[in-house]
Amino acid sequence: MLRQAILVPRIFSFLERSVLGSGERAGGLLAQETCKATCLLCGPQSSSIKRPLHTTVPRSKAEDRKEMLASMPKKDEGTEGEKTIDVDLLSKRFEDIFPDENTPSRLFDGIPYSQLNICDIKATKNNTIISLNDHKGKALMLRSCGMEGFKNTRQGTNIAAQATGISLAMRAIAKGFKDPVRVRVSGIGPGRMSAIKGLSMGGMNVVSITDSTRVSFAPTARARKQRRL
Amino acid sequence: MRHASFIARTVLVQNGNVEQAVRLINRIMGREGFLEQYRLTRYYEKPFQTRRRINYTKCKAIYNEDMDRKIEFLLRKNRVEPFPGYC
Repeated sequence: MLRQAILVPRIFSFLERSVLGSGERAGGLLAQETCKATCLLCGPQSSSIKRPLHTTVPRSKAEDRKEMLASMPKKDEGTEGEKTIDVDLLSKRFEDIFPDENTPSRLFDGIPYSQLNICDIKATKNNTIISLNDHKGKALMLRSCGMEGFKNTRQGTNIAAQATGISLAMRAIAKGFKDPVRVRVSGIGPGRMSAIKGLSMGGMNVVSITDSTRVSFAPTARARKQRRL
Repeated sequence: MRHASFIARTVLVQNGNVEQAVRLINRIMGREGFLEQYRLTRYYEKPFQTRRRINYTKCKAIYNEDMDRKIEFLLRKNRVEPFPGYC
């Protein structure tokens, strides 16, 4: 039988505390004495006990769960550069979120949806370009991260994209394009989320967000070879 | 396949809450596999890499299915609380 002499007094002193109540102070020498008197492993009755006694320090369920969640790998949402939180879809009314056959004629500030200006955001790995266009496709404004003063690597960041969004929104309002705008995002990049955030921060009234990333599940022309770093 | 403009893959902003709409569309696109497919098609994936990836995905799916069945089975119980006061 293994005698864990160091461990046992500490454990049993805790147990003694619960048994003796709040009146008794189980600490230091007192714990050891009471421990030896009642302890099953090192007390007077120890000769009759053959099997080892093991206990664990009691832990709360919350502590365990927090530790388990912290040790789990982070779930990949699919967009690099941005951290997103799950949205509770059960509390939403689906009719208002997704467009239907009446949406093109639905009025936003007196303008039908199909005639609102379009804000195209091209979010690539190294840059983010935002352009404001007519519903017919005529270009009205164009801003990119480079035009904001960021150069080279700094263009491919979410901060630069946010700055570009703010700048475009403020310039558009100054020029007179105050109407609500529908946003069309293309590509996965650091500026995908921040650009839209910047637009709304700059004062633009964003009405809808569309994703027009060019994706094909069918076999396409052979892409370039993988980069070997 | 060209999706209908401003009808497919579109989310309307509710109460001016743009952040929520962005998260929603990102989540839907991610869940449906668009973003994963986009990343796969950036560079050419050689056939041996494709086979490796698909076999790994298949094995993982089989394992996850069986593990989920096991967990669901083990959680079917109706007994007295074994550790009262543990929480």
